[in-house]
Amino acid sequence: MKPTRLYISNDTSSRAAGAGQLADAWIDRSEIQLIRTSSRGAFFLEPMVERDMPNGREAWFNVLPNDLPRIVGGVGGTPIAEIPFLQQQARFTFANFGITEPLALDEYQARGGLKGLAAAQILSPEAIVEALRISRLRGRGGAAFPVWKKWQAAQQAGSEQKYVVANADEGDAGTYCDRMIMEGDPFRLIEGMMICARAIGATRGYIYCRYEYPAAARAMRFAIQKAREADLLDCDDYPFDLEVVIGAGSYVCGEETALLESLEGRRGVVLAKPPYPAESGLYGKPTIVSNVLTFATIPNILANGGAWHASLGTEGSRGTMALQIGGRVKQPGLVEVPFGLTLHDVLDRFGGGMAPGSRFKAVQVGGPLGSLFPESQLDIPICYDAFAEAGAILGHGGIVVYDDETNMVELARHFMAFTADESCGKCTPCRIGSVRGREILERVQAGEGTAESLDLLKDLGETMKATSLCALGGRAPYPVLTAIEHFPGEFVRRQG
Amino acid sequence: MTTRHRPRLAETLETCRPVPPAKPNILKTLLAVQSALGHVQASAIPQIAQVLGVTDAQVAGVLSYYSDLRTQSPGRHLIRVCMGESCTANHGGRVLRAIQDHVRVAVGDRTPGGRFTVEQMSCAGNCAVSPTVMIDEDPHGRVAPSDVPSLLEPYR
Repeated sequence: MKPTRLYISNDTSSRAAGAGQLADAWIDRSEIQLIRTSSRGAFFLEPMVERDMPNGREAWFNVLPNDLPRIVGGVGGTPIAEIPFLQQQARFTFANFGITEPLALDEYQARGGLKGLAAAQILSPEAIVEALRISRLRGRGGAAFPVWKKWQAAQQAGSEQKYVVANADEGDAGTYCDRMIMEGDPFRLIEGMMICARAIGATRGYIYCRYEYPAAARAMRFAIQKAREADLLDCDDYPFDLEVVIGAGSYVCGEETALLESLEGRRGVVLAKPPYPAESGLYGKPTIVSNVLTFATIPNILANGGAWHASLGTEGSRGTMALQIGGRVKQPGLVEVPFGLTLHDVLDRFGGGMAPGSRFKAVQVGGPLGSLFPESQLDIPICYDAFAEAGAILGHGGIVVYDDETNMVELARHFMAFTADESCGKCTPCRIGSVRGREILERVQAGEGTAESLDLLKDLGETMKATSLCALGGRAPYPVLTAIEHFPGEFVRRQG
Repeated sequence: MTTRHRPRLAETLETCRPVPPAKPNILKTLLAVQSALGHVQASAIPQIAQVLGVTDAQVAGVLSYYSDLRTQSPGRHLIRVCMGESCTANHGGRVLRAIQDHVRVAVGDRTPGGRFTVEQMSCAGNCAVSPTVMIDEDPHGRVAPSDVPSLLEPYR
């Protein structure tokens, strides 16, 4: 009898939830054949096992090794099409997740991979930039800058040597979509970078991957090797090559100038702009630095046209966003939806409410520099403009929910301590301000704060916002000040 | 530097020697040394600087800047407890305390006998199954304080 094919995710978070133990326990079972795929992102169901059934794939959730007979017998599975968490999404960039083997180039192509590159190869570089202008794609790393403007600047910069760099230093706590792309659909990142290389005339690309993502770096290196062997890396009239470079644990290296300093092997210190990297970047040459998710969004835009992408989302935020839900929710995981749903919708429909036994207190959007929202402000639409208007950031799409056990003074101290640890030291407001901010919060925490402490902290925060060189110092006050704004009682009670 | 390390260091540095027009890359070199030797001893700085054609200060500056570059030899197993926002919300701090109580060591230190080094990390990107503990390159998710003894047991 032919063995039953079982699909188990090989994503880091799936393995952390026990997928690896399942695979190890079942490795010698002759009645099954194990296929290690990417993850669907419904991590609350992991370890999840899927198999083909007459009407498509069915899944078994939170599987233990002794569940195997049930799965092989086809008993108790749920059709993928009936999992609400997945069905309410609009999967484009993440369309392959949970389905393909990450390093199978033939599967990537069979599901529409490389069509974007093929489309780009018959377009002029100017026409590729025009497609991106029509798409109205904005950078997904946090700054949300129009991608086509960057590319046009690099395209028009006169230089023999240009570079394309994927920012895979996904340091925002609460985010993991770049890691999932690199581990789960690495050819999509390669394709996006190659389209960029063709548009600007770059002959060399780098993927700057954080030290914390060893599995992602391995997958990317394998995928680059496979692409090279398949002669995919060479553009028609010039060679292109890609290399994975590993960082060493610096949050600020996610800022593009610091990243390029680090790529050249120096301390990852932020540089004043201009010049922008698109004009003078790596080794002083025109360089496009974009986030992994941004590059991974581009193949579909070229394959389906800029207008297709512009038809999704809201006025100022076109396309879809990968939201990464974590913290004290019932259903943590990755969600790809068009911009425009409210934060409340996302938490309710996808997050599934609070984890058992916990009550909502606040949600933080946009990583450790993102603002906190109390329950009364959850009707904000998820798009760049609404967040900017509220003085908040969408950042890289991280959403972390805190429950009522959370001590807001301690959390605020945690944020300031993070900035103090990670400040590159280049500008004074961030280097000194974060340390003073942490000290004030430590005094408040110890019950030694005075009425002036919070005023001082607010003043310090406004100074850091206005005068820091990059977003680390400039955004660090937001979570702290929103904690004070929405939960003033906790800070006041602590005053001496 | 211990004599045991010297030949490995020289060997590793040879692979990092810049061939013009390539420029020396200090960070890449330090990561290569750490990968070969487990850490980068401060006493190796002059030799590294000499091979790369840069100053000792430049090497020392990069070595001290990056938190994942270590100047002390770590234990046989490196435990990193995630202190990212999702792990914090899910009481990763309790897991860290349970680990410290179990192996009796301060954060950043190596246990006597050298079995473990315990560190914090700021985010493992494993937020959907938090709290997270990374042991060497193995990710462990949804860790409860009571799981700690059985979690550490296989790492001898």
